[in-house]
Amino acid sequence: MKIIVCLKQVPETNNVKIDPVTHNLQRNGISGVINSFDVNAIEAALELKDRYGAEVVALTMGPPDYEKTLRLAMAMGANEGVLLSSRGFAGADTLATATVLAAAVNKIGGADLILFGRQAVDADTGQVGPLVAEKLDLPQYTYVSKLNLSSDGQIDAVRMLDGGTVRVNGDLPAVATVRSELNEPRYATPRNIKLSFKKDIVVYDEKDLDLDDSEIGQAGSPTIVTKVYTPTATPKVTETLEGSAKEAAQNLLTKLSEKSIL
Amino acid sequence: MSEIWIYVENHFNRVDPSSLQLITKAKEIANGRQVTAVILEDHDQDFENTVKQYGPNQILLVKNDNLKNASDETITNVLVDLAQEQKPDTILFGATVTGRSLAPRIQGRLKTGLTADCLDLRFDDDLLVATKPSYGDNIMCEITCPKNKPQMATVRPNTFEAVVDGSSEPKINEVEVTVDVDPRVTVSDEQGSVSNTRSIGTAKRIIALGRGAQSESIIKKANELAGKIGAIVAVSRPLTDLPEFSHEQQIGQSGNTVAPDLIINLGISGAVQYVVGIQNAKTVVSVNTDPKAPIFDVSQYKYVGDAEAFLDGLIENV
Ligand SMILES: Cc1cc2nc3c(=O)[nH]c(=O)nc-3n(C[C@H](O)[C@H](O)[C@H](O)COP(=O)(O)OP(=O)(O)OC[C@H]3O[C@@H](n4cnc5c(N)ncnc54)[C@H](O)[C@@H]3O)c2cc1C
Ligand SMILES: Nc1ncnc2c1ncn2[C@@H]1O[C@H](COP(=O)(O)O)[C@@H](O)[C@H]1O
Repeated sequence: MKIIVCLKQVPETNNVKIDPVTHNLQRNGISGVINSFDVNAIEAALELKDRYGAEVVALTMGPPDYEKTLRLAMAMGANEGVLLSSRGFAGADTLATATVLAAAVNKIGGADLILFGRQAVDADTGQVGPLVAEKLDLPQYTYVSKLNLSSDGQIDAVRMLDGGTVRVNGDLPAVATVRSELNEPRYATPRNIKLSFKKDIVVYDEKDLDLDDSEIGQAGSPTIVTKVYTPTATPKVTETLEGSAKEAAQNLLTKLSEKSIL
Repeated sequence: MSEIWIYVENHFNRVDPSSLQLITKAKEIANGRQVTAVILEDHDQDFENTVKQYGPNQILLVKNDNLKNASDETITNVLVDLAQEQKPDTILFGATVTGRSLAPRIQGRLKTGLTADCLDLRFDDDLLVATKPSYGDNIMCEITCPKNKPQMATVRPNTFEAVVDGSSEPKINEVEVTVDVDPRVTVSDEQGSVSNTRSIGTAKRIIALGRGAQSESIIKKANELAGKIGAIVAVSRPLTDLPEFSHEQQIGQSGNTVAPDLIINLGISGAVQYVVGIQNAKTVVSVNTDPKAPIFDVSQYKYVGDAEAFLDGLIENV
C-alpha cells in the first residue's frame, strides 16, 4: 500500500500586513509552518503505515524552504519527502497548484490513497484536493471524520457535512481530504527526527514533470488577484455595563428590550 | 442571454439556506443577466416549490431517480454536461462542505477559475469580481477570472439574506439528461446530527460559551437561559472536547458562521479564528474577566467580570 500526503507551508501568523507603498503582502520575517490541518493528513497516513506497513510519501510544492515541512512529516514517520520547486511554479492559483501535484503523483508512480488537509489556513479554499482528484480521475472523499481502508482495496469513510454526516465507500485508489476531527496527530520521536535529517529529499521541477509553461505558475492560473486591502472594520461603539454582575445584567436586559432586540 | 447559475443544494429533504441566499444576491447584482436556479432531485422531491418563492428568473430542473444519494462524481457529471451545453456565464455555490467539494471538481473539468468562500460579489462589465478574505479575514482580496468561462465562486453561508420575492413566476425548464452514475462510489443516507433541527447557522439568538465558561453548572444555566429567551447554545473550539458539545455547535473558522440578531459571549477571549465566525452577528454582548480581552473590540456591550454571576443575573431578571 502506498499513500501520498500533500502538505502546504503557511505563514506562522495570520497577522500579515499590506505594504502601504507597494500594496504587496509583507510576509518578510514571518516564518513558515506546516498548515495545521495537514498534520491530521500525515497522522491518517501513518496510522495506515502502522496497520498495513504502507509506504508514506510526503509531497509539497513551494520554495526550497518548504523542505522544513517535509522534514517534519518524516520526523513524524513518513518514509520519503518530495519537493516540487521551481521559479516557474510561483504565482500558482489552486488550479495550477493541482496541475503540478497531479503530475507529481503520476511521476511518483501513483498511490492507493492521496491525502490532503481540509483546507490551507492562509486562504481557506480547500480546492486543491478535489482538483487533484479530478485531474487524476479518482473518486474523492472530502471532509472525512472517519477513514478506513481494507487490505482488499476498499475505502470506507464518513464525511462530516454542515448539519450531519454521510457514509461513503468504494474502490481504491482515491483522494481524501481530512478534518481535524479525524485523529490526534502524534509527536515526532527523537529517533525519527534524527533519521529525517539523514534522508535525501527528491526535488522536481516542470521539466522533470513534463509540464508545459502555459500550465503552471501564473500562466496556468485562470484567476487573478486584482486588489488586496485591509478591511476597515466598522468601528463598533462598545458600551461598558457597570456595577455588580446582577446590575449589569439588569441594565443589559433593559437596553436590549428598549431596542426590541429581546 | 448571459446567465448566472446557482446550484441548489439540499440535505434532509430541505433546500440549504445558502442556495436561497445566493438567489437573492444574484438578482441584486444581475443587471440584466438571467438568474437560474439549478435543481437536481429524484422524483419524490420538489425543491422547485421552495425555490420559486425566492424569485429566480428560471429554474433548470433535472428529475431523475439516479440523483438520490448521488456522489460528488455523479453530480459533477450532470452539472458539467449541462454547463457545456448551455454555457452559463457564472456558476455560484454556497461555501458549504458540499459546495466546496463539488465546485472545485467541476472547475477542474471545465478548466476555469474558482474563488472560494466569498464575502461579496459584483459585476464590473462582464467580469465577476469576487471578494474573499485571506489570513483569517485579516486581508481582503478581489479576484477575477478574465479569460475563462464560466466564472465560478463559492459564497460563505449567511453572508447575504434570502428574501422571498413573489413579483414574477419563474419559468421552470425541466430537462431530460442521462445521469452518468459513477460506479466507484456508494453514498449512504445522510444522518442528521442531534442539533440539526436547530442549527446554529440560522439561529436568531445565541449564547456562546468559551473556556472561561465551561463548568457543568454554567452549561446548565446557559441552557436554562436559552430555553427562556429562545436561544441556542454554541461554543468556541476548546469546548467541543466536552461530551455535551460537538463540532455542530462550534463557531469560527473551522466551525460555523453565524448571523444571529443577538449573541452573548461568555468566557471567550476573541481569537481571530473565533471572531470571523460572528462577524455577521447584529448585536454582540461579551462577558470576560480580562478587561483587555480582544472579544471586547467586536462587542457593542461589554461586562468585565465573572460569566456565571452575569448569567445568574440574566436568568433572575429576564
Ligand atoms: C487553524 C485554526 C482554526 C481554528 N478554528 C477555530 C474555530 O473555528 N473556532 C474557535 O473558537 N477557535 C478556533 N481556533 C482556536 C482559537 O485560536 C482559540 O484558541 C479559541 O477560540 C479560544 O477559545 P476560548 O476563547 O474559549 O478560550 P481562551 O482563549 O482560553 O479564552 C478564555 C477566556 O475566558 C476568560 N475567562 C476566564 N475565566 C472567566 C470567568 N470566570 N468569567 C468570564 N471570563 C472568564 C479569560 O479571560 C479568557 O479571555 C482555531 C485555531 C487554529 C490554529
Ligand atoms: N503547494 C502545495 N503543495 C502541496 N499540497 C498543497 C499545496 N497547496 C495546497 N495543498 C494541499 O491541499 C489542501 C487544501 O489546500 P487549499 O485548497 O489551498 O486550501 C492543503 O491542506 C494541502 O493538503
